[in-house]
Amino acid sequence: MAKQRVKVRNWQLGREMDYWYEESRPVRQFTMIMDTNKCIACQSCTIACKSTWTWGKGQEYMLWNNIETKPYGYYPTGWDVNVLDLLGRQEWDGDVYAGETLFEAAPAGEYVLGWAPDEADWNHPNIGEDEPTGSADDTPYLEDLPHSLMWMYYLQRICNHCTYPACVAACPRDAIYKRPEDGVVLVDQERCRGYQECLTACPYKKTMFNLETRVSEKCIGCYPKLEQGLQTQCTTACIGRLRLTNYLSPPEASDPRKPADFLVHERKIALPLYPQLGLEPNVYYIPPIHVPVPHLMQMFGPGVERAIELYKQAKDDPELLGLLLLFGSTERIIDTFDVRDGVARGYAQDGSEIVAVPLREPTFVRPFEFATEVSGEPATGYRHNT
Amino acid sequence: MAEGMTRKDALVAAGAVGAVGAGAVGAAGVLGLFGSEAPPEAALVAAYRRGELPQDDPQSSAWDDAAEAVVPLSPQRVSPPFLDAAGVAELRARALHNGSDVAFRLTWDDGSVDDLDGVRRYHDAVAVMLPTVAGDPAPITMGDRGKPVHILQWRATWQRDLTGQTGVDQIYPRVEHDVMPDDVLPPQTASLYWVGRKAGNPLSQVKRATPVEQIVAEGFGTTTHLPELTARGRGVHDGGSWAVALGFPAKRDGVGAALEPAQRWSVAFAVWLGDQENRGGRKHYANWIPFALELP
Repeated sequence: MAKQRVKVRNWQLGREMDYWYEESRPVRQFTMIMDTNKCIACQSCTIACKSTWTWGKGQEYMLWNNIETKPYGYYPTGWDVNVLDLLGRQEWDGDVYAGETLFEAAPAGEYVLGWAPDEADWNHPNIGEDEPTGSADDTPYLEDLPHSLMWMYYLQRICNHCTYPACVAACPRDAIYKRPEDGVVLVDQERCRGYQECLTACPYKKTMFNLETRVSEKCIGCYPKLEQGLQTQCTTACIGRLRLTNYLSPPEASDPRKPADFLVHERKIALPLYPQLGLEPNVYYIPPIHVPVPHLMQMFGPGVERAIELYKQAKDDPELLGLLLLFGSTERIIDTFDVRDGVARGYAQDGSEIVAVPLREPTFVRPFEFATEVSGEPATGYRHNT
Repeated sequence: MAEGMTRKDALVAAGAVGAVGAGAVGAAGVLGLFGSEAPPEAALVAAYRRGELPQDDPQSSAWDDAAEAVVPLSPQRVSPPFLDAAGVAELRARALHNGSDVAFRLTWDDGSVDDLDGVRRYHDAVAVMLPTVAGDPAPITMGDRGKPVHILQWRATWQRDLTGQTGVDQIYPRVEHDVMPDDVLPPQTASLYWVGRKAGNPLSQVKRATPVEQIVAEGFGTTTHLPELTARGRGVHDGGSWAVALGFPAKRDGVGAALEPAQRWSVAFAVWLGDQENRGGRKHYANWIPFALELP
């Protein structure tokens, strides 16, 4: 049945927009916060995801999670620049998006303005890896260095489990749905008939086609873990401790004790990826502080400069610093947190303490007499702990 | 036909309305087929034939007994997603019945065989749509709520499935696999990595008995698979066109009324060209045309 356009509220755009279903927010919304400044592109998250969910035959090219170097890395090749090019130049009017979303720009006969990658675009997961661009002269904080540096940074990518998913809008069979309990977006594996409309519609290119079962699959937000109160595989495998699996409230219901609400709504340090596309994505990024602002504004919207300033001052902001230190400190999902007496603590929904992390680790000085002798020689210094 | 106009041009100009038969012509509106008028002469008649029908042999001489109807095809632009560009203008249809089975032979121009599904790789297919009851048919939009239609779809992919030659190894013949779940896990656990198959999705199965899927639908987007394996069929590609034979029992238990002579039926068709990225609603379709079964 043909769907009808309706008006919905997209708070990331600061305005109403067109969508193909009524606004229907889940009881709580799965979200992930990424601190891009901490990522080294080790792909531990990618391996954790792949070895959990997508190592089957037919899933060879599937990376529900991937890390790509920006601006010249992308998987599939050129996904974001192609989508931006298709949409054309658009403007923000302050915090209000004045341009068109992918739903509003959809041509006749389509639900979404979509870009379909070629088959070969899925061939190069590491294209552009570590390739820098630009000039350090454009960056705000490296100007005192004696040599010229170029910039690049790593973008952590999973499905955005959008509030207004393009995959859901484009599916002619209603085979993709958003779970009311946690907002996780799933492909009904029994109902999908493999038309691949979602592969074209999702601007983030996070639905994929299984070559053996011939239906679409996508990041499931590790929902079997969420249901046990645990953070996702990509989160817990992250050695940079830059991810936080959490739940996000709509802005009017923001609770500053809740980690995601604090970062997204209160401090506004974590920003959505390409909010102008109109999907209200639910993965939020603390932007890299060394990257030219115009580039970042295109990717994360108008809040970039403020977020960078906040991040630079985090060392003097115990609450923010404490919360950032809780990233990667526990496998369990932190419901609320506080920072008292130099210690950041995370709590479960029942109020019990899950984890406590000091803002400053204690320093120990080993006395010289702990130095050990080697091969009967007198102790002359410290020995590496082997 | 206007002077200088080719037969193909005329068919395209005719659009979705009307059917040009070899010896039988019927004109039909989009939804109000027949109206209150007397039924017109059927555009497609299933000729009666004793004995077995060539349900999986589109090249059988038995098809010569049936008159051919040339059916104009239009790109689907009723409900999104639309088919932007038409790749084929007409379908040629013949039908036979023997009192217990009904069979169709459908041919259309298609320069390539597309019988593997992959990323942006789609398959060739053809479908026959029938009302579930005699008389005025349900809306051409694959029926409507409370007004179901019966659809039989032959897919090139499913025909290839019968040979076992499908999947990653066929799409990418030089693929090399590392350890796969079924190398190291017990079958019950390994099968979880083919979720669609495990969930019972008929699209995800590779072992199948027929290339023809039976479907009921109550409007676009409501395609519902029928597990009955009573339909048969086979397609042959000659380098420039497909010829597909498909057949099924005239008694349609659980689907609708039996297809019987002396009743007013309709039939509609759809064609998908895989190489032009046709799939789902991005298809060529023909409007209902009057259909009848010859009296024995």
